[in-house]
Amino acid sequence: MAERLSLFMRTNRWIWPFLGVLILWIILASLTARFSLHSLSGVAISASFLLLPALGQMLVITTGKGNIDLSIPGVVTLSAYLSVYTATGSNTGFVVTLAVVSLIAGLIGLCNAILVLLLRIPAMIATLATGYILATATLIVNSQIGLFTRPPALGFLAAGRIFGFPVICVLALVAVAATALLLSRSAYGRKLFAVGQSAEAAYLTGIRVAPIIASTFVASSVVSGLTGVLLSGYAGGAFLEMGTPYLLQSVGAVVLGGTLIAGGSATALGTLFGGMLLVMIVTTMQIAGLPPGAQDILQGIVVISVLSVAGTKMRR
Amino acid sequence: METGLATGAGALEQRAFLSLSGIGKSYGHTRAAEAIDFTITGGEVIGLIGANGAGKSTLMRILAGVTEPSEGSVTLCGEPLNLATYSPRVARDVGVRIVWQELSLSPNLTVAENFYIEQPQLGRFSPFWLRDYHRMASEGIERIFPGTNIPTGRLLAELSIAERQIVEIARAASDPNLKLLILDEPTSSLAAERSAQLRRFVKSLARSGVTVIFISHKLAEVLDVADRVVAMRNGRLVWQRGAEEASVSDLISAMSGAEAGEVGERRHSDPDAARPVLAMIGTGLTGSPGRSIELRAGEIVGVAGLEGSGQRELLQKLFASRSSVDVQRSSDRIRYISGDRQREGVFPLWSVLDNILIGRIARQSSLAPVGRAGLRPRAVELARKLALDDARFDAGILDLSGGNQQKVLVARALIDDLDIVLLDDPTRGVDIAAKRDFYKLVRQIADAGCLVVWHSTEDLEFLECDRVLVFGSGEIVAELSRDEITEDNVVAASFIQPIHSNAAERNRGGGGGPAIVRSIPFVSLFAVFATMAWLNPVVASGFGVELLLAPAVTLVLIALAQMFVVGGSEIDLGIGAFAGLINVVSATLLVTSPLLGIAGLACGLLGYALVATLIQVRAIPAIVVTLGASFIWTGVGRTIQPSPGGGAPDWLRDLFTRSLPGIPSPLLLILVAAVTAYMIDRSRTGTVLRAFGSSPLALRQAGWSPLRFSIYRYGIACMFAMAAGLYVTATNGASDINAGASFTLLSIAAVVIGGCQLLGGLIAPLGVVAGAVTLSLIGALLASLGVSTDYNAAVQGALLIVILGLQAIALARRRHG
Repeated sequence: MAERLSLFMRTNRWIWPFLGVLILWIILASLTARFSLHSLSGVAISASFLLLPALGQMLVITTGKGNIDLSIPGVVTLSAYLSVYTATGSNTGFVVTLAVVSLIAGLIGLCNAILVLLLRIPAMIATLATGYILATATLIVNSQIGLFTRPPALGFLAAGRIFGFPVICVLALVAVAATALLLSRSAYGRKLFAVGQSAEAAYLTGIRVAPIIASTFVASSVVSGLTGVLLSGYAGGAFLEMGTPYLLQSVGAVVLGGTLIAGGSATALGTLFGGMLLVMIVTTMQIAGLPPGAQDILQGIVVISVLSVAGTKMRR
Repeated sequence: METGLATGAGALEQRAFLSLSGIGKSYGHTRAAEAIDFTITGGEVIGLIGANGAGKSTLMRILAGVTEPSEGSVTLCGEPLNLATYSPRVARDVGVRIVWQELSLSPNLTVAENFYIEQPQLGRFSPFWLRDYHRMASEGIERIFPGTNIPTGRLLAELSIAERQIVEIARAASDPNLKLLILDEPTSSLAAERSAQLRRFVKSLARSGVTVIFISHKLAEVLDVADRVVAMRNGRLVWQRGAEEASVSDLISAMSGAEAGEVGERRHSDPDAARPVLAMIGTGLTGSPGRSIELRAGEIVGVAGLEGSGQRELLQKLFASRSSVDVQRSSDRIRYISGDRQREGVFPLWSVLDNILIGRIARQSSLAPVGRAGLRPRAVELARKLALDDARFDAGILDLSGGNQQKVLVARALIDDLDIVLLDDPTRGVDIAAKRDFYKLVRQIADAGCLVVWHSTEDLEFLECDRVLVFGSGEIVAELSRDEITEDNVVAASFIQPIHSNAAERNRGGGGGPAIVRSIPFVSLFAVFATMAWLNPVVASGFGVELLLAPAVTLVLIALAQMFVVGGSEIDLGIGAFAGLINVVSATLLVTSPLLGIAGLACGLLGYALVATLIQVRAIPAIVVTLGASFIWTGVGRTIQPSPGGGAPDWLRDLFTRSLPGIPSPLLLILVAAVTAYMIDRSRTGTVLRAFGSSPLALRQAGWSPLRFSIYRYGIACMFAMAAGLYVTATNGASDINAGASFTLLSIAAVVIGGCQLLGGLIAPLGVVAGAVTLSLIGALLASLGVSTDYNAAVQGALLIVILGLQAIALARRRHG
């Protein structure tokens, strides 16, 4: 029995962040009267916005070789501005917005993939450099935008509720379910995990490695773009630092969730709980009245210590 | 044993320098060395021979302290050796030096610097310490290979393979304390004349009392140089004789010595020209037969030759595409089974079953649903055929022995229909029983109508083949079929060299960093500055320089910090934030209570040492640790000082605003920083740091501590970032924690523009300084051209991509050119 439990814990790494969320919630609920179901819904909404880019980041990290997408904050911010820029206030206009953002974000992802795969620039540098160019693009769009008229459909998606349940949370859950399904039940998922464990072995097994890696960069960029659109709907506009938190938090959610930083294994459910745990930690710190500085420190420490502990889990 | 090892044992015992008894070594289920008794006397040259995989390298690794034997004991100069503590370092201290077959030089270091890595005990503490090593290198090389004239200031990457081999030999032999010199295939890339020089030197070494073990496939050379010859087979010492009494054919039969019963009955498939041709090797690769070679269904074709003569390349070309210059194949149903299972075979995180099923899934369309349960019966059926226990399907692949892992890879290949199987030394590390099963299996696969192309490093295995293609220097030099296939014939054919041997020219290395990459930072700095001076002549005045360069100092310092991290093939994503933190600490704590401020700075240094330790000890990627650390630095800074402000201590302000007559203070600071970084890079520590960036394994084998130098590396980076933070405080008289972060990417950009390579430990302090100044001038240049500063970031990012792209193209051309 104990053996089966330990096997279950090992093969389902999402259980750890899930326990973390549970424990933190119990502690908070018993310690403070303020931390109610209502504040949990606040946590859920913040976590939902984090989840899309985190899932994208997870796919990129899973390809191994130290791949990581640092252009996520740039894509989020630019897309939020594009959403404001292209908004006409109508739902038809919103469809155009979605198309434009998906196209541009997809192209950015493709650029990242080309830099990494063809020019063999390390992913971290390539995506950092793309992020720089995106920063300028954002400034240019910024100088062009006027007043934001939010399309009703965007308002519903980003800030609406169904039966009192935030729509954005539903979206996030759907995204998690779809990603989990893709990873565990499709040939794509198996190929991706194979590439992440050993690109050489994957190539010799007959997997076409480059398209798999390229697809993760494109996916990461597109979901980050959609997040930017949703964020603009939630915040009612765009601002320059909008995407910044998603840099560390997307990596943090992935790592906390039990996805291996060295690649080859990922869990969408883990990333869901990892994201929630991270947001809860931040919320707790805010409720506890910790200054923003201490919040930064704690986030950094959490990510590093989880890595130090989990780093040896690789059975290589 | 033919001639007794015991003859004159008493006399040997007295002069014995090193003696091994009962040495054995197991890797999992494989025995690499078995019951080895071996005594080496002073001043003797021993020729060690054996087929590929006979266990020579394992034995030498044990002697060099790299591998600890599983059992047995070693006596050194009459004293028993503690094998648990016998490390490469100890081996060196007692005078044992080895020249590895895979050269262990650092390509990004000069010849003289490589001598330092091997012989650090002779270094002086002086800025001109390297001069001794230049002398030592040129004398050491000249002593063994008169007339080679290898410039000792040249990077190893710029030397040809033969020159590198010369450096490696001279480097090991230059130890004044030398007792035992092990040469593993020392003449593999040397021309005949150089090889003769080496043999003369080996004989003179022996006369002076040094023992030499000479391992080579060039049997005539072994007979020429050795006093006695020892042969190994299957991990055992099986034969030895005085060199005068032996002939080349004696050696060949000693190495092959096919034991009765070892080889199964040979059963070749019938020649059948009617069978379809599945692959063809073009005339580009068939030097001696001089015609294209057709490979047919149902055949087992062996690919033989000395290691690295082009066998693997043939397999890779066959696998890569249906049609290339040298090979064609008519089927896409091709599988590749590698013997390097760790790197090219198993998926380590997966179970046995998953490792098998991927063979089928890999060929499905990406969106196809995968039902692993549905595929299981097919896998079970296969496992039965391969005698693989399907009860272990859910075990981790790494829990299996080498032989069983190998069966898994075969099952992976067979789970889908196939026409061609490429075997790349598939039985490496597989025990003898499993090998026999495998041979039977290969015959079955061929009988089922597949073409099997089989590269092996064990010549005995070619007896299983219908045909053997023997490679020499990248070409097929002989084709053996049916009864011509004997171990002797394969070994003999392996020593044939193609008529037009172009090996020497092919191996010639290109330039280290192409001159064009190295000159980019200086050219662009000049271009930017000249443009600005042309637009506005005031720029060229002392005041103009001061105004322009003042903001550049910060970036120069942070970029130099980043450079030392990049020198270790790592990247620090927190360096900008750290400089920001130092800015805050020095503008607040250092002003209000200097002691607390200094303690704060010391804590910063400690933090960096901790980061370095974490990266090394826990083997976590540096980027993630430093990304996490960047949040800690920012957080601490924000806690100390929530909003911008603070002041600057007067002494600090004075320190950073000193100037010499005629030299504005920012220029002076930049020069001082450049000189300091240059000196550190050229110092002994800097040399080792660079060497770690390109060849950490070789450095560890040479006895250098990775952790210690990781701490040095991040310590140096920390000091430069600290200087940057202090400079900002001194010049701005205030601090802002958010100001530092943007410098992180800029520092990486400056390092790259400066001509450093992100991997491989190639750094250029002066280039980095020029690159950093150029980058910080771009803003001013854009402004003077009337372009909005919004474009600053884009220009910097694009510049980074363009330069990295250029480097990639230059590197690719060097590899293929």
